[in-house]
Amino acid sequence: MKKFFLLALTLFSFQAYAIDDPSALIRELNKKFSQVNDYTAHIRMTFDIPGVRMNAMNGKVFFKRPDRFRIRTKGIFFLPKQNPLQNMSAMLLDTSSYTSIISGYEVVKGKKCAIVNIIPLRNSIDLVLGKFWIDVAHPLVMKTQITTKNNGTIETENVYASNSTYTLPDQIIIRLETKKIKISKMMAADLNKKSKDTSNDNKLETGTIILSFSDYKINTKFADSEFDKAE
Amino acid sequence: MSSAILLEHVTKNFNDFTAVNGLNFEVKAGDIYGFLGPNGSGKSTTLRMIMALIKPTSGSIKLFGESLGENRSEIMRKVGCIIEKPDFYGYLSAKENMKLFARAHLLNYSAAQYDALFSLVGLKGRENDKVKTFSHGMKQRLGIAQALIHDPELIILDEPNTGLDPQGIIDLRNLILTLNKERGKTILFSSHILSEVQEICSNMVVINKGKVVVQGGVSELLSQENLTVKLEVVNPVEASVVLQQSNWAGMMESQDETYFVFNMGKAEIPAMIDYLSQHHIGIERIDYRNQLEDYFLKITNA
Amino acid sequence: MNEFLAILKNELIKTIRRPRSYIGFGVIAFICLMLQGAFYQDGKELLSTVTAQFDNIFNVQGNILNGNLICYIVLQTLIVQMPMLVAFVTGDQVSGETSTGSIRFLLTTPASRTKIVVAKWLSGLVYTFFLLLVLGIFALFVSRAIFGVGDLMAMNSEGLTIIRADDINWRWGYAFLIAFLSLSVVASLSTLLSCIMDNSITPIVTVMAIIIIFTIIGMFDMKSFDVIKPFLFTTHMISWRSLFEDPLPVDNIVASCAILFLHVVIFLGAAIFYFKRKDITN
Repeated sequence: MKKFFLLALTLFSFQAYAIDDPSALIRELNKKFSQVNDYTAHIRMTFDIPGVRMNAMNGKVFFKRPDRFRIRTKGIFFLPKQNPLQNMSAMLLDTSSYTSIISGYEVVKGKKCAIVNIIPLRNSIDLVLGKFWIDVAHPLVMKTQITTKNNGTIETENVYASNSTYTLPDQIIIRLETKKIKISKMMAADLNKKSKDTSNDNKLETGTIILSFSDYKINTKFADSEFDKAE
Repeated sequence: MSSAILLEHVTKNFNDFTAVNGLNFEVKAGDIYGFLGPNGSGKSTTLRMIMALIKPTSGSIKLFGESLGENRSEIMRKVGCIIEKPDFYGYLSAKENMKLFARAHLLNYSAAQYDALFSLVGLKGRENDKVKTFSHGMKQRLGIAQALIHDPELIILDEPNTGLDPQGIIDLRNLILTLNKERGKTILFSSHILSEVQEICSNMVVINKGKVVVQGGVSELLSQENLTVKLEVVNPVEASVVLQQSNWAGMMESQDETYFVFNMGKAEIPAMIDYLSQHHIGIERIDYRNQLEDYFLKITNA
Repeated sequence: MNEFLAILKNELIKTIRRPRSYIGFGVIAFICLMLQGAFYQDGKELLSTVTAQFDNIFNVQGNILNGNLICYIVLQTLIVQMPMLVAFVTGDQVSGETSTGSIRFLLTTPASRTKIVVAKWLSGLVYTFFLLLVLGIFALFVSRAIFGVGDLMAMNSEGLTIIRADDINWRWGYAFLIAFLSLSVVASLSTLLSCIMDNSITPIVTVMAIIIIFTIIGMFDMKSFDVIKPFLFTTHMISWRSLFEDPLPVDNIVASCAILFLHVVIFLGAAIFYFKRKDITN
């Protein structure tokens, strides 16, 4: 009986917010964010960017609240200017800078998600519109679509496993629209390439970056110097 | 005596220009052979063909009885040459240049052998100097050293006196004679100066416009028995009368207002001068030349 | 000593002792150091011309301006200069001796003309190899010492290829081998022209003219040029760059190497054919 009571209490606590109230959803989410002061994790990045051939690479990610972030690797990698690892929690945590509404519901990966639109209150910030697909049962950001003035629109899809209580995903799939990166033939000096049809070169294509995380270490209070160390 | 060089009907055309036209001559082993001709007569082209630098258009060249076209490498082991001006690698010393040639002939010269070679050509003490600092005469001496480095049986020298000082010319002449007499070398010596050939050669060939003009023994070709004598006198009218009555009348080939031309031996000239003096004929000038010299002078001047 | 080895040794000695042989090494060292200095000062600005097109979308993180990239850019820059430096020495090997007259001495030795021209060609290849070795030392190792080692952001008209630092050394090794094969084509062409011509300048100028014309044809992105591009050796001379593509276009690289090798054989064969029949008239 006692066990049943505890279970019921637990379930009730998960449903202690109204699923049609975006502020409540965000508040629950921010509670989870707030549990994480810092973390480190191994990261594996795979890239599929138009005009860029790049193998997957491994590294270590360092994060400290509110938005200190570093991926330490031995080589070159591309990340979107709007770094979801850095920006997502910081954006939602600053509740005074935006207003939110739920524009609908959608099932993402089998989970019912509220589509929460984040609309900035000040014109001075870069954000134009943030859309967050938040799992209404266990507040987690399953998907985002963030449009900024300077950096266009990027979409993310988050996959959670062992660290969902901290809202730390095991995988983030980032999609963004970009023109194919190309170098002029004069500059590239590759005489051995035939001339190409360049009519589609200005067409936007979708680039994908997949970030996979493992071996999370949360709230270890690592030293700030980790952000500055070379690999 | 075996044949060192044998040219048969050798012709060389450069497009429409025939540089050498059906040349035949033979150089016997052990001979010093003069190869004479004015500039542009085809001497150098002929020597280049003998050294396989130029391929003949037709005809056959044999050295030591072997065809040059078929046995060039073997033949070249037995031939040394200077063709025209001696051009070496100016950025190397004389000794380094000689080392290149020694190596090309697969020779392993000792320091003493190099010393002997440089002494022989009069360059001892300058062997370590860069060739670009050498005068033309010194390069010519080095050229001779190069031609001798592999102790060849046949030495071909294309106008080797060019650029040499008088002492150098004498030294070279002595060297050629020594190489021929003491070491039995066959020498083909080209020149456009008859006297150079006359002094050292036993046989000679004269070519002009790519063709043989005359060939044979130097002593026969340059015989003093058959000279063209040109006599200039003060009083030609009296002289004509006196000479018509003398034994020399039959030797007279032509006469002009001031001079007479005879064909006679060198020994006859003093007697003729005595005879004219006795008849009070004043002699202004007397000049005599071998007929070949006379011809050679004509073609050279031409 | 074998006759061929003897004349090869002679040719190598001549190459080593000629002052002009060292100009190439000096030029390479100078160009490399100059470019390294320029990149040290303004490298990031220069790179921004490439990164500008995706600057508003991506942050490129990591040490882009590293020794591998500098080496890649230096090799690309020297695409015109290296053949000139090779031709400067190899184009003079026969014609230089013809014009000074020393060829007469050479050709009156027992060695055959074929051996002589092959020895000259080989000594030219040895020189070319050392020229590339110096380039490798300056472009790769000195650059790495100055800028550090890192992933290579290889630029080609298809876009960017990032080659990881731990996957790059073998690529550089093969790239230099292909560059050597490419320059061997230049050396062989120079030898051929050097056999045909009687002065030392014309073969060098002719080689450069051919390379410049072919390079310009290759540069222009015009469909009409695509027909002739595969037949130009300059098209294949930059095949070393294909080693920095992903996936590695092995078939293209092998085909280019085969074409380059064929050029070497044809040019050398033509040089031997012509030289054996050549009259030495000066």
